[in-house]
Parts: sequence; C-alpha cells; structure tokens
Amino acid sequence: MARIDTKFGVKLKKYGAVDFTACYNCGNCTAVCSLSTQDNSIPRDMVRYSVLGLQDDLKASLKPWLCYYCGECTAHCPQTANPGELMMALRRWLTSKYDWTGLSGLLYRSLPLTLLFFLLTALSVLIFAICKDFNLETIMHYGHYFEMGAIGAVFLIILLPNIIRMWWFVILKPKIKVTLKTYFKSIGELIVHMFTQKRSLSCDENKFRWFEHFILVIGYLMLLFTTVFLDWFSAKNLFVIVLGYVESMVILIVTVDFVMTRIKKSREVGKFSQPSDWFFVIWLFLLGTTALFVRVFIDLHILEFHIWLYLFHLTVLAQWAIIIVPFGKWTHFLYRSFAMYFEKLKETQYHEPTI
Amino acid sequence: MNNNIGVYICHCGGNISDYVDVEKVKQAIATEEGVTLAKTTIFACADSNQKEMVEDIRQQHLNGVVVASCSPKLHQITFRAVTERAGLNKYNYVHANIREQVSWAHSDNKPGATEKAIHIVKAAIAKVRYAKSLDPIIIQSQKAVAIIGAGIAGMKAAIQLANMGCPVYLIEREYFVGGRVAQWDSLSTSSETGKQIITRLYQELIKHNTITLFTGAEISSYSGSIGDFHLKVNIKPRYINQQCNEGGLQKAIDVCPVILPDEFNFNITNRKAIYHNFPSEYPQLPVVDMVHCNRCGECLKICGAIDLDQKDELLDIHVGSILMATGFDPYTPIDGEFGYNQINNVITLPQFQRLINLNEKKLIFNEKEIRHIAYIYCVGSRQPEGENKYCSRYCCTTTIHIANVTRRKFKEINNYHFTRGVRTYGKQETLYRESLANGDVFLQSYEDDLPVVTSEDGKTIVKINDILTMKKSMEIEADLVVLVTGMVPRAENSIGALFKLPKGRDKFFNEIHMKLRPVETVIDGITISGACQGPKNVTEAINSALSAATKSFSYVSKGELELEPIIARIEKDACTWCGACANVCPYDAIRIENDGQKEYAVINNAVCKGCGMCLPVCPTDAIDLTAYSNSEIESMIDALAQD
Repeated sequence: MARIDTKFGVKLKKYGAVDFTACYNCGNCTAVCSLSTQDNSIPRDMVRYSVLGLQDDLKASLKPWLCYYCGECTAHCPQTANPGELMMALRRWLTSKYDWTGLSGLLYRSLPLTLLFFLLTALSVLIFAICKDFNLETIMHYGHYFEMGAIGAVFLIILLPNIIRMWWFVILKPKIKVTLKTYFKSIGELIVHMFTQKRSLSCDENKFRWFEHFILVIGYLMLLFTTVFLDWFSAKNLFVIVLGYVESMVILIVTVDFVMTRIKKSREVGKFSQPSDWFFVIWLFLLGTTALFVRVFIDLHILEFHIWLYLFHLTVLAQWAIIIVPFGKWTHFLYRSFAMYFEKLKETQYHEPTI
Repeated sequence: MNNNIGVYICHCGGNISDYVDVEKVKQAIATEEGVTLAKTTIFACADSNQKEMVEDIRQQHLNGVVVASCSPKLHQITFRAVTERAGLNKYNYVHANIREQVSWAHSDNKPGATEKAIHIVKAAIAKVRYAKSLDPIIIQSQKAVAIIGAGIAGMKAAIQLANMGCPVYLIEREYFVGGRVAQWDSLSTSSETGKQIITRLYQELIKHNTITLFTGAEISSYSGSIGDFHLKVNIKPRYINQQCNEGGLQKAIDVCPVILPDEFNFNITNRKAIYHNFPSEYPQLPVVDMVHCNRCGECLKICGAIDLDQKDELLDIHVGSILMATGFDPYTPIDGEFGYNQINNVITLPQFQRLINLNEKKLIFNEKEIRHIAYIYCVGSRQPEGENKYCSRYCCTTTIHIANVTRRKFKEINNYHFTRGVRTYGKQETLYRESLANGDVFLQSYEDDLPVVTSEDGKTIVKINDILTMKKSMEIEADLVVLVTGMVPRAENSIGALFKLPKGRDKFFNEIHMKLRPVETVIDGITISGACQGPKNVTEAINSALSAATKSFSYVSKGELELEPIIARIEKDACTWCGACANVCPYDAIRIENDGQKEYAVINNAVCKGCGMCLPVCPTDAIDLTAYSNSEIESMIDALAQD
C-alpha cells in the first residue's frame, strides 16, 4: 500500500520539473513516444508516480534513463504539463539519490552552493600555484598527477559506490533474482550503450543530435586518454600531438553547438536549462578549448610567458574532475549505460522460464 | 353526407409508384360514391400541386378532400392548410397513408400493394363522406400564473412573467426565499456568491407589484384545468409582527431555550426556535418555528412584536397556469456508505460548503484543523446498484471549485479527489485545470472497485486501486472526507402527487419530450423548471425557468385558449352514469353531474384529448368521438373489408 505524498512534487520542482501536476492522464505523451513499448511504457506512468510522490517506485524504476529527451511528448501534451522536462528532472533527482554523499542533491538544489564550490576549487588551484612559486614545470608535473589521481579517486570513492547503490535500488531491493551468468552475458549491453548511446537512435528526427553526441563522447574519452596516458602536453610524437588537436577541436565544435541550442532554445531539450546543464556544456567547452590553447602555446614555445593559461586550464580541469564528474551531469554517462545494462538483466530475468 | 369529393393519389417521386400502380388505384376509386374528381400527381406536396388543389376545391366546390400519400405525421397539416386556403374547413380533409403503410411495407409484392392501397383510399373516402366542419374550442384563460417554489428558478421565472405583464403568485413553503442557492456561498464560474445573486433577484422581484410572494405557504388542494386552476393556499404566520426595537429581536433569539439542528447549515450547527438563516436574508423578519417552540414566553418578555397567537390564513387563488420550481434535496448517504454516520469526520459536500463558509482563517471541524481533504465523487449518483443511475451534473464542477476556494481561503490545504472520471464540461474545464495546477491529486476508480474509507487507530484512511496508476493500491490519511453527494428529488414531494405530475425513472418530474417539449408536462397548463425536473446547475436551472415562464405565459397571455375540437361528447339522455368512462380516462376529464333528475357524465372540454379510451367501455354507447363517430369508423371498416 503506497502513501500519497504531494510534497514530493514541490521537491521535484527544485530539480527542474515544471507544471507536471497539470497532467490529466490522457496518455498522449506515451502514445507519441517512439521509445515507449507495451511492456515498458514511458513517460505517463512516471508523471503519475511524481504527482503521487511514490518515491520508492521511482527509485526502483529505470524508466527515466530510458528517455533520451526528443521532446515529442512535451510538444504533444494538451495540458502543457511538460513530461519531457519531468523525465529530465527525475534523472537529476535519481542522480542525487544514487549519490551516497548527498552532495549531488545539494548542488542540484542550490546554485549559490555550486558557485561556492567552484570558487573554492579555483582558490585551491591559486594557492597551490603560489606555493609552487608559479613554477610552470612543477605545476604541470603535479597537474598531470592530479589528473590521474582524480580519475582513480573519483571512480573508487564516489562513482563505484553510487553504481552499487543504483544496483541496490533497482535489482536487489525489489528482489529481482538475476543469475551470475546473466550478469556476464549482458555485459555487452553496458559497453555498447556506454560508447554509442544506441538507444537514442530510435528517437524520431534525432540522427544528427545522436551523431554530435556520439563524436563528443568519443572525442572526450580519447582526449582524456591522450592527456592522461599519452601525456599530450609533454608528447613529442607527432601522431599523439595531432590526435590531441583533433580531439579537442571536436569537443570545441560540438559543445559550441550544444551551448547555442540552449541559448536559442531551438530544441525541446534546450528549453529548460538548469544550472547543472549550463555548467556541464560550458565546462566541457572550456576544457577542450583551454587544452587546445595550452598545446598551441607549447608548440609556439610561449607557455612559459603565459602561465595563467595553464592555471586557467588546471582550474577548469579541477572543477570538472571534482565537482561536475562525481556530483554533476557527467554521471549521466554512467547511469544511462548501467540503466540499459540493469534493464537487460531485468528483461532476461522476466523472460527466463522458472523451473 | 359529402358527395363532392376530390381524391389525389401521389407518386411520391417513385417512392409509391414504383410499387403501387397509382393509375389503377385512381381508376378503382374514381367510381366510388361521391367522388367527383380523381387525380394522380408526381408530388402532392409540391407547390404547383397545392395550387392546383386550391383551384379544384374552389371551382368544383368540393366538400371533401383525400390525399393518398405519405404518413399523416409528415403532411396532414400541409393539406389541411391547403383546404383552409381554398375556403374549406380543414376537418373536411382526410389523409390516406399509402407510402409507409403500403409501398415501403410491401415492396416485394406489387399487385398486393396496389390492392391494399385501393382499400386504404376507399376507407379514407368513406370517412370523408361523414366529415363535418369543426371549429376550435375556445376556453377562457385566467391571466395569472402560480409559481411553486421561490428558489432561484422560481424567482427568475416570476420576474420574467412580471416583465411580460403577467400577474404572478410566488408560493414558497419555507419562510425565506432563495432555496438551495442561498445556502451556497461561492459559486463556480461566477464572481457573485449565492446569497448575492438571491439578494439581487429579491430586490428586482419586489419592484414588481404584479408579483405576490407568499412564504410559509403550502397548497392544500387544487381543482380545475388549463386556463382555470383554483388553488387553496395555506399560509402560516411568522408569529412576529414587525422589527423589534433596536436589537430586541436578537435578544429574543438569544434567550430562546430551544436548540435545534440548523437545516440551513445541513445540521452542522444549531439554531433556536426563533431564527433567521443569515443576517441579510429575505424576507428580513425572523420567524418562530412553532413546531418546536415550547411557548415558554421568554421571548415575549423582551420583544413585544412577537405574537404567538397568530393564525394560519387560507387563500383562494385563480390562475391559468402553474409553474413548478420546487427544486431538489441533496442525496443523504446511507449509514456506513463510505463511513457516513460511522466515522465522525465524514461529511457531505453541502455540509462542507457550509463549513468553509462558516470558518474564517482556519478550517476547523470537530475541533481539529483540517489540512488533508479527500473528496469521494458520485455518491448517490451513477450508482452501480442503487436506483440513481443518472449523473447529477453539478457535482464534479462544484467539488473542484470548492476545492480551489478552500485552498485560497485556508493555508496548507491538500485536496485528494477520488473520482469516477471528471466531468467539468464546457467553460468549467478551466476550474479543473486550475486545481491541477494547484497540485490537487486526482485518483480514479470504476464503479466495481470503489474507494474504501476506514478508521484505523483514530485515523481516517481512504484507500483506492487507482486505475490511472495501473490499479496500484494507494491510500491517504484524511483529516476530512467529503462525500460528493448528488441531487435527488425533494423528500417531501406531496405537491407532485397533488397535481398528479408524472415522474421519470429517476423520480424527478417528467417533461413530455426531453428535447422538443422540455418544460411541458402531460397535465396541460402545468410547466416544470429547475432541479425538480432533474439535476441542473444554476445556469441550467435559470434557462429552464425562463423557458417554462414563456411557455406558461403562452397559456394565459390572450385570456383565452384555442383547443383542438376532436374530443369525446356524451349524449346525456343515453348516459346512465356507471362511472366506467371516468375510471379509464387518463386525463381526468370526465366528472359526474346531477341536474336534479339524473346523474350523468360530463366531459371537461379543456382537458379531453380525444384519445377515445372512454368509448369502448360505455355500456350504453352514450359517448361519441368528434370526427371518429361510429358511422365513420364503421364505414371505413366496410371499405377496408370489401373484396
């Protein structure tokens, strides 16, 4: 027996949900959604759960992650209840629920707090530089170590436990029995969706957006690999240098287009940007751009005279690595692909004959 | 006996002539006795043929006309008008139906169809031979209308009639006007409250000196018929002569020791035996409830205007038409229906409306502040098992409106609507939208799986398997459960029985035709309006009141009424008064008369509909029906039975 909790709706508004209580359950949204299926229909039931405040059901559901926000539902809603943005808000809310530190939720709900965190990180970088007497070589040296250390720490301390929590909410708590074999057999689903976002291809009229997103993900992951493991900023190998240039250019171009979409509100997905959305695209843009210029300055041998540029890059990098990646929108990269993986587990389970 | 008869046989395009050999029919009837003209025509109803008929009648001095064509429902009036235009009385026209009854019915047997057509036309000719010129019956009509019920419908109808120059007797059973609407505070899609609207109507009403208002008045008996109704009205006194000296009357109310549940507030508060419902109420003089007054005399010591010895008054009223506007009662749930009368915070929608009107700032019920309100819809309406199958129309809108008002008036209100599908039709949809935007929660169930209200550890829990959430079981803890009760006919509805007004399956008064004659009843001269006819909101009640006022006015406006002359007639000499005819008459049109020599039956011409029910039961054959006399019918049968 579930208790109705109307306060949840108020809470959800802080995560960006708008007007969803206007829903009168006509089901147009579900009818027009190209990803909705008979067995796994979205988004009306998620709107319903949100209106009624059925938090346990929402936490156990993977459905918010099954939506890729084409905006068709919102465009067809006769009550302008904006189901598309509600699904987005639910993803933010779920992110905050998966996060064991609770910081995620705090940052989503409070812009001042987010800005304070960004400021503190920038100050730390400045203090670190002062400590090192603005010695470029030393700073770059530690900067490189910071990248490696941050990746490992964020993954082990924040992201891995969060994925386990997600697993607990959607598989263990609802007592869905999955055999070990199924876990291994379905791992392909995780990899494919992580690197391709294949599912979003099924959204109508969304092919170009998918392509942009695809090359952005690939470009970002490869730049990460190039800078961290191939040490791009110190590389002498021409291939590595050119590779880094290409990758950072890709990031620059795609993120500019994404930012423009949000400014012009030309697509449904960009109409209701939350601070977390702005931070994500802008910092990704800054990351790619500053990396690009750092390497340009290295190649022109003028970085020593423009150490501020590297410090700016390091600041952006630090803010990205310790705020946006663990607690911000970056996590959707992981949760979306794991959601597809867990969904596959549930699906296999339901379809396996019980002996 | 008419012996100069014209007969027209219609092809109806081919509708008739494709199956009936109309030429053969013409030949067969041309030689009938009295027929001097027989013609076929492609379309008898066509303008050209009508003109030809007029000329034929005039030139050949026809004294009987038959058209054999379609159903009389379609064109009898048309051809009666043709004969009238030609100067021949319209009752000298007889219609023969050879389309619906012949060509369409026997399209598989053409010779047989022709045969049948010949017989039907011959029967019509046989009848027209006996046809007589008839004039409409004229009766006097008293130019005044009695309106029963001074609620919003009755008041509006009274004003409308007075505006048309018609004297009105407005008869109200209660001591105050306004009926149910005076009990509602905020009304949906209106910025005025019920009380304001009633006050406005009252001010308008008293400006008309042709309106006579009686309060505390009931009709004890009635007689007569359309144009000539006599009503006996019993008027109870208020037991108070005029306003007391400054505040004296209020003091009298204060000292009254009798405490009674206040029906105006649906018993959620109490009143005294001297009372008025609210300060600005009309008429403004309070009243002594003599049924419950114990005559202790305390009030008399304070206010000299009180006179407990006033007597009932009996008045005779003579009117031409009666307009019913007696309204409705809210449905009273049966004990235990959704916890009603068993769980102490379960109330009805009318009670809740009074409650939010009486509370200011904080919404308190049973000394507890109310935050979470559950509304259970369709209580007493759309019953799966009970008798009320109908939708009460007003309740979805009113509940949503009241929920919105409650949110505006009080703080931190949560509304939960347990519906069976929301019906906020028309402009009222905006209220539904507003409540959704407010964050009201709507849940829904079918009639076979209704919500359940239980009391658990002093908490009131409402449970539902919500069909909007995949039938998931859900519950809320409610501070107050409001049963959205529909409309039912007045419990005290003896006035309907007095007038013998027919009721529908829903037990509300019934109109003749839901669409085409929506305010007339089968009792000529009595019209119905407002919620006594069925559930209506204020707008709909006013619409029907204006409609009924116009209809009633049409009965009395000219001072006389023209009635159809086809009625039963009794031959006094042959009648032995056995009473059989009076027993079968569905219109109560036959009464006994005694001229000192014998008892005999008399027909009330104003009431008789010429249905003919009395004819076959008369043992002495003393009754004849105009235009359907025995000789006419027998000659028709002879014609039909001919080989």
